Amino acid sequence: MRRYWMTWAVLLSFTIVMVLADGASMPRLAFVVFMLVAMLTKASIIAANFMHLRFERAGLVVTVVIGLLVTGAILFVLIAPDAARIHTMVSGR
Amino acid sequence: MAQPAAQSIGRWGGGVCPFDAGWRKVMMWWFIVTDGLLFAGFLASYGYARILAIRWPNNASVFSLPYIAAMTFVLISSSATMASAVQAAREQRRRAALRFVLLTLAGGACFLGMQAFEWRHLIEAGARLDVNPWGDASFGAYFFLLTGFHGSHVLTGLIVLTSTAVRLAKGLSTADGVDMAGLYWHFVDLVWVFIFTLFYLL
Repeated sequence: MRRYWMTWAVLLSFTIVMVLADGASMPRLAFVVFMLVAMLTKASIIAANFMHLRFERAGLVVTVVIGLLVTGAILFVLIAPDAARIHTMVSGR
Repeated sequence: MAQPAAQSIGRWGGGVCPFDAGWRKVMMWWFIVTDGLLFAGFLASYGYARILAIRWPNNASVFSLPYIAAMTFVLISSSATMASAVQAAREQRRRAALRFVLLTLAGGACFLGMQAFEWRHLIEAGARLDVNPWGDASFGAYFFLLTGFHGSHVLTGLIVLTSTAVRLAKGLSTADGVDMAGLYWHFVDLVWVFIFTLFYLL
């Protein structure tokens, strides 16, 4: 049970750091990369410790994680350039 | 029934039982993957709208970030109490498991109440599905879509947890049952991590 409360403390620390980073002045790209890395780390900690994925057979882990991440990435990567192109056309920049 | 194959195979083995998990757990994971894909679709389309937008509202002027952080704290805490409930149920400590499930229920209800308050605040400020006073018109639609779907999942979780608590109190629930309720509840927490970062912080 101690492990769960340690996990809780780590997740809480991540959340505090992310909120503090929101107020800090840093380049936009660095800010976005930092937030995405922190988000994926938090999600991994929840899946591994709270959802016990770290104790499951690798076949289940790979099916779940790769299935979700790859599909999510494909969804975004395929449509994001189109959005950027239209944005440039509309804004004239 | 025990699965003898699990004793001798490695992490990648498994033969006819590659996941080495009961049907309930496997089905719950399949549900989580498909439901996760629903949110992945929503978030991808939100990303599209966000890149497309000429003037996306400044989050700091719309939301109170400390308030959203407090909502996150409540949800993370409820996940920790749920994980403790699963552990207690596995150790056959029924009363402790019930206590932790009730704490999780309280956390979930608190989160939902806070979300309702936030919705009311934004609606009073003029946020609608098709228009809002802060910037791009699709902002309101994505706010209500993402937080609304997540909130409906929290509500479903509360119903599942209430049923689990009643069954625990009556001595009917198994450790497996509490485990499945826990998996669903952690998934709700997991989705919030993405919404919190992508919608509120970025």
